[in-house]
This record gives sequence, structure tokens and C-alpha cells, in this order.
Amino acid sequence: MVVPILLGITFLTFMLVRIGDQNPVAMLGGPMADEVTFAVIEKELGLDKPFFVQFGIYLGNLVQGDLGESWQSSERVADEIRNRLPASLELLVFSVLLGALVGVPVGLRSAQRPNGLFDQVSRFVSLFGFSVPTYWIALMSIFVFFFLLRWAPPPMGRLDIASFPPPDLTGSYFIDSVLTGNWTTAWSALGQLTLPVILFSIIVAAPIIKHTRAISLEVLASDYVRYARAQGLRPRTVRRVALRNAITPILTFIGTELTGLLAAVSLLELIFAWGGLGQWGLNAILLGDFAAVQGYVLVLAVFSVAIFIVLDLLVLLLEPRATLRP
Amino acid sequence: MNKPTNWLGSAALAAVLALSAGGAGAQEKTFIFGAVGTPAGFDTDAWLTGTLETTVNVYEGLTKHAIVTDGSGREVIDASKVEPHMAESWTVSDGGKVVTYKIRPGVKSPFGNELSAHDVAHSWAMAKDRKRVGNFMVKVGRVESVEAISDSEVKFTLGTANNIFPRILSTVFPALVDSKVMKEHATADDQWATKWMAKNTAGFGPYHVESVKPGEGAVLVYNKNYFEEKPYFTRVIYREIPSAASRAALVKSGQIHWADQMPIQQLVDLIKDPKVKVDSVPGTGAATLRMNPNFKPFDDIRVRKAINYAFDYNAVHEAVFRGLGELSDSILAPAFGAYYTPAQTYQTDLGKAKALLSEAGHANGLDIQLEYSDNWWWEESLAIQTKDALAKAGINVALKRIPKTEMNSRRRIGKRDIPFFPHLANAFVLDPGYAFYLSAHSEGSSDVNDYNNPKFDALVDALIGETDTTKAIALAKEAQMMHADDATFVISDFPKTYAVTAPCIKGWLWYQHDRVVWKHLRCEG
Repeated sequence: MVVPILLGITFLTFMLVRIGDQNPVAMLGGPMADEVTFAVIEKELGLDKPFFVQFGIYLGNLVQGDLGESWQSSERVADEIRNRLPASLELLVFSVLLGALVGVPVGLRSAQRPNGLFDQVSRFVSLFGFSVPTYWIALMSIFVFFFLLRWAPPPMGRLDIASFPPPDLTGSYFIDSVLTGNWTTAWSALGQLTLPVILFSIIVAAPIIKHTRAISLEVLASDYVRYARAQGLRPRTVRRVALRNAITPILTFIGTELTGLLAAVSLLELIFAWGGLGQWGLNAILLGDFAAVQGYVLVLAVFSVAIFIVLDLLVLLLEPRATLRP
Repeated sequence: MNKPTNWLGSAALAAVLALSAGGAGAQEKTFIFGAVGTPAGFDTDAWLTGTLETTVNVYEGLTKHAIVTDGSGREVIDASKVEPHMAESWTVSDGGKVVTYKIRPGVKSPFGNELSAHDVAHSWAMAKDRKRVGNFMVKVGRVESVEAISDSEVKFTLGTANNIFPRILSTVFPALVDSKVMKEHATADDQWATKWMAKNTAGFGPYHVESVKPGEGAVLVYNKNYFEEKPYFTRVIYREIPSAASRAALVKSGQIHWADQMPIQQLVDLIKDPKVKVDSVPGTGAATLRMNPNFKPFDDIRVRKAINYAFDYNAVHEAVFRGLGELSDSILAPAFGAYYTPAQTYQTDLGKAKALLSEAGHANGLDIQLEYSDNWWWEESLAIQTKDALAKAGINVALKRIPKTEMNSRRRIGKRDIPFFPHLANAFVLDPGYAFYLSAHSEGSSDVNDYNNPKFDALVDALIGETDTTKAIALAKEAQMMHADDATFVISDFPKTYAVTAPCIKGWLWYQHDRVVWKHLRCEG
């Protein structure tokens, strides 16, 4: 299934970026080039060939791991992705971890006393996380926490201007600094991460709270939980039974949410000058950088497929009965 | 322990010191430039993100404009006077058609190579062969050949003597490159080493690129062999900060020295902020709406004039440019001094607009489409304001936002199929003939609405070749009047150029390319 899905996505992206009159030739030629120069550039880029021939060439290169070259930066797209993906993943992983660590317990607790004070407050927080535009909350937070209160560092990327990137081990500046014992850089990376991670984790936590609450309510109302209660089991044991049964759908939900977050993080990257994949992809879309957009969408697709595969394996691990299903 | 290697290097700490100490006392003065994006290339023939912002600091010309002090005590460039720079002198012969420049001794690139006539010939040959921006200068300057007649003398042969040519030599088009270095990086597929130029520089100017990190920025350092005075800032951190709001916050908090390309909404607030210094100079490019006469209904001059009369100039000046631009009344900016004539005499007059529309057979109204993009911050606001104003004259304007790439692709030479759209052309050569040629001559690269009036072309050609100032002024006046009468432009404001800096920054000098030249800047107080 994976290959046809990726092939379909590749074809759709390849077609969509070419719809309309977006053409990098004018940008590459500059405002003063003549028709002959435009024709030469078009030929160099292979844009003079029929659509399906272009797609065939692209596919042929793709299977050899060549995603093409960005006309904007003259960098190989594969290198750009390799360089920028760790920055996005660092932001994403920390945000999702924090969002899940907060969201799941809050959702569970809310479900225990529906419409109680805790539930009301958590639903408000969840609604806030759903409704607030990412860019607005990011800009407001910068204004308040960096500009007014001076609690947050300047929104200038992954490290403060006096720190140097650590040796590349995992791609995360924070983890790599810790692993190499570079505490100054680790402190800087942590400082730069704090505000965007908190902001993004609010956005991540909102649907987690909502869905965990809904799933837990359903589980708590199920026959087996009622049976457990009727047996006189302690509330803590009942909660454990409920959690055991709720965890699979909650994990599945977090996983599916994760697939969309790599794209959603782009606005936050832009505002915090993060230099990650999302910022690069957004810029590529705005500039009609064909090869970069194709590479970006392909990475998102591969990321989604990978997440689903990992999820399936996790479900198998947590829910052995799943193996018996056809 | 990490080594200060590829990216920020030792500049970073110095930068912090410089900022915190107001620049005083630090060994190495670092300038932090908050830019929209990391430079995507350093080839002046291909204008990508950050190309011009950096290359005007890397490459310099054989000539330069004189710097004079204006009435307010401010240093400005004198458009009328061209002085020697990397050439120490020149001789003119054959009625101005042959100009021979003597290269200044001791002008060296960071690689240690001395500028020679062969470098100049190589740079012009590259421009001519690649047929892009540099080649436009070849055409407009009427340059027929460039020949190194010795190591230190280069001869330019022109088709006709003209005023534009010596001014072109003050620009970075074409960039004067260190040909020895370029040849080392040339390949069979890339004889001009343009791929190498995407990430590197080989100029004779005050700075050169040390490193580039996509998504983060670039570091440029002082050319230790630079032939003029050592700049105050010896290192420049060119930091990518895509969000204008973040750039504003950073310059307010003293984290960066310069916030580049600030939109008007931010400027209005920043001007009032005592923690930021906002300086401005009049612009030389007009914000215009272009009508392509090859498309209906713009093929009818009465419709074009009706739109000019229906346009609400004051409302746009106030609502779009917040009173911070300058209302314009000619294709040429007042900055062109004696050459400028207030020719665009259209004032908002709905009665005249309706009468003209009725005469053109549109008494019951007219439907048109205005396509716009985001090449300039004012495009969308101008489009909305135009829709509102023209509706009062019975013209229904449908607005269509299109991607920047599409806009640039469709208005390029050979295509030019957008009937009605906004545009701004900035003359990088301070010469009226160049400005006319650029924007409205049928061969001009910014004649994006395909205006084609042979009489106007002839006037501009005559102006370019006219060396008598009095006659040139008369020709410039006639050209402005003719262009205004053809009404293919709605000319709104001349948006000013703004410098948004930390309060300590002094020495900003405006250049015709509208990018900051770092070598003049310093941090005081």
C-alpha cells in the first residue's frame, strides 16, 4: 500500500505545482533577461519538455534518491531536507511530548467528573487551544515574554547568538549538547526551545484533552468498567482498567495528530526564525520552488506513513488481540 | 569543547559585546542585520532572496557618485556627478564613443589578487554572454565592446556617446569579479562559475562572504585588502528573521542593529518608539497601477483616462501609504531634480471619469479585473482602495491575488499578459534616460504593461544620447508629458525608503539600489 500512496502523492504534487502560470524561469532570469535567456533557463530546468516526460525524469531521479535542486538556493533538495528536518523534529517531538504529558492526564481526570470544575476549566483550555490562531499566540507571547517581561530569549532561532551548534549526534541541539556535556549550549538551546515548545504544546494538547476525555467517558461507561465497579474494586484499580482500555485509541489519536503537526509547525518556525523544514517548505510554496515543494510534500507523506507503521506496531504491542483480526 | 567554526564563529560573542557596550571598546565590531531570508545566492545577474542586500557590499564599480552634504546637513549622493573609484582616471575620445579607464593600483580582492583590466573585461563578457541584468546594462549603456588594452587600462567602445554609461559603472551590474578566482571554479558545464557564485563571492569591495547556513543566515567579513578606509563594522551577521513583527521586537530590544524591509504597519509604530531610530529618504520608484493597452478595455485611451480620473489619490496616500509616501505626479521622481516635471495632472474627478466612460461606450458601467501579488507590501491595500474608488465611477473591479512567481512570470519580456496590475520600478542608475528606458521604453525590462509608443521610444533614445543638459531637460519634460497623456499608468505615491536601526547606528547613506551599504555605518553612543 505504501508505494502506491507515495506514488499518488508524488504525482499530485508534481501536477499541482505546475498548475497555473507559476514558473521559476522569470525569477531565475531576473527582471532584465530577454526571451532567449528565458528559453535557455527553461531548457536547463527541463521545463520545456512535455509534462509526463518531466514526471518520468523526476521519478527516475527519485528512485535513485535524487529529489532535484532548489532553484531558489541552488542546494540539493535532499540536502536541504537533511539539514532542516532535525530542527523541526526537535520542536515537534518536545511539543508533542509535553502536550501528551499534560493532555492525557487532564483528559482522564476530566472524564472522571464530567461537568465538574476541573472538567469545565480543562474544556475551556482545550477550546482555547483549538481556537487561537498559532501566529497570533506566538506574536503575543513574544511581545509579553520576550519584549515586556524579558523572560524569554529573542526569537532568533535555535541558539542564542553567542552559542555554537554542538556536534551533530541526534540533530537536536539540546540533546546533542547534553550528550557532549556542553552545558552552556544546552542551556541556550533549552532557552530557545521553551517558548515555542510551550506554545505548540498548547495547540497539541487541546485535541488530546478533548479526545482523551471522550474516549475515557466511553470506557468509563462500558460494561466491563461497570462490572469492575460492581465487584467492589478500588477506584484506583478501576481507573487502571479504564486507562488500559483507553490507551490504544488515545495513542492512535496522538499518532494521527502527529502526522499533521509537521506541516502545522511551519508558521511557528517562521515567527521564531527556527530554520526548520516547515519554514523552508512554506517559503518554497510561496516562491513556486517546484523541486523543493515536491520534496517537502514527499517528506510529509513519508513521515505520515512512517507514523502509521509505528502506530500499527505499537497497537500490536499493547493490544495482542489485534493480531487475530483479519 | 565546540570550536567556533562554520557559522557564527567568533563574531557572535563580539556581536553581543558590541551591542551591549554600544559598540565601544570591542575589538571586532559586528553588525547584526535582521533580514527576511538567508541569501540564496550572490550572483548579481540572478536576483534571489538577499542577493542585492549582500552583493552591494561585496562588489563596487570603476566609478562612484560624489557624496555631498545637502541643506539639512545630511550626506547624500550627487546624481549629477560621477567620480573615479576603482578606476583612478579615464580618457574620452572619438566624440565620447571610446572611453578608456585606468585601473587604480592596489585594489585587491580578499584572495590577494589585484584588480586588472582583464577582470573588468571578464566581468563584462560574462554579463554579455549570460544575457540577464548585466546585459541590460550593456544594451542601455550602448556598450559595443570592452577590451583590456593593458593590465591597467580597459577600453569601452560605445555605439553612441551617452550619460548613462559612466553611471552604470558605479553600480554592481555587472559585478567586477576576481577573474582568476572565477576561472579556478569554472567547469566545462559552467564556464562562468555561476554555481560557485551561488555560495561564494569574489569581489574587490569592502566585504566578502565567510559562511552561509540556509535557514539561519550568513556571515560576511571585511576584505582585509580593501583599498579604502577600513569600515567600522568588520563583520556582519546577516540573520534570517522572516517575521516582520519579530524583526521589530528584536530591533526594539537592541538584539539586532538593523531591521530590514519593514512594512508600513510596523513603521507607523516604530517611528513613535524612542528605542528605535527610523530614518527615511524620498523614494525614486513610484507605486503604479499599470494598464496593458493590448487588452480590452485598456486599448481605449478614454477608459485609461477615466480610471486615472476615478482614482482617489488622497485616499490612497492616507489609507495605504499612511501619509508616509510622497504623492507623485510624474513617471519621474522629484529626486531627478531639473529633469522632473509634474506631468501627470490627473486629479480625482468622478464627473470627468463618468463622461469619458460614457464616451467610450461604458455608460452603464464597466467590469475589469485587477491582479495583484505580494512583491511589495502595499499591493493588497492599494488593490482594495482602488476597487472602492473606481466603484464610485461605475467601474466594478474584481480583485484577484496571484502568487508572486506567477506575477513575475506573466509580466516578463515575451509574455506580458496581465491587463491591469500594480508595479514599482526603481532606477538603479540615476539618470532620467535610464529611468524612462527601464519603465516605459518598448525594450525596457520594467515596461511590464507593454506600452509601445514609437514616438516615446525615439524621445528616450534621443535623451540617452543627449549630452547637452539643457536639451536633455527639454527632452525629459516632453517624454513625461507624452507618457502622462497616454495614461497607461495610474501613478500613486513614491513610497519612501526607511532605515530601521538601533539608536546608536549612524552614517546611513542612501544609494540608488535602495540597499544599505554597511561600510558607511558605525555605532556611536
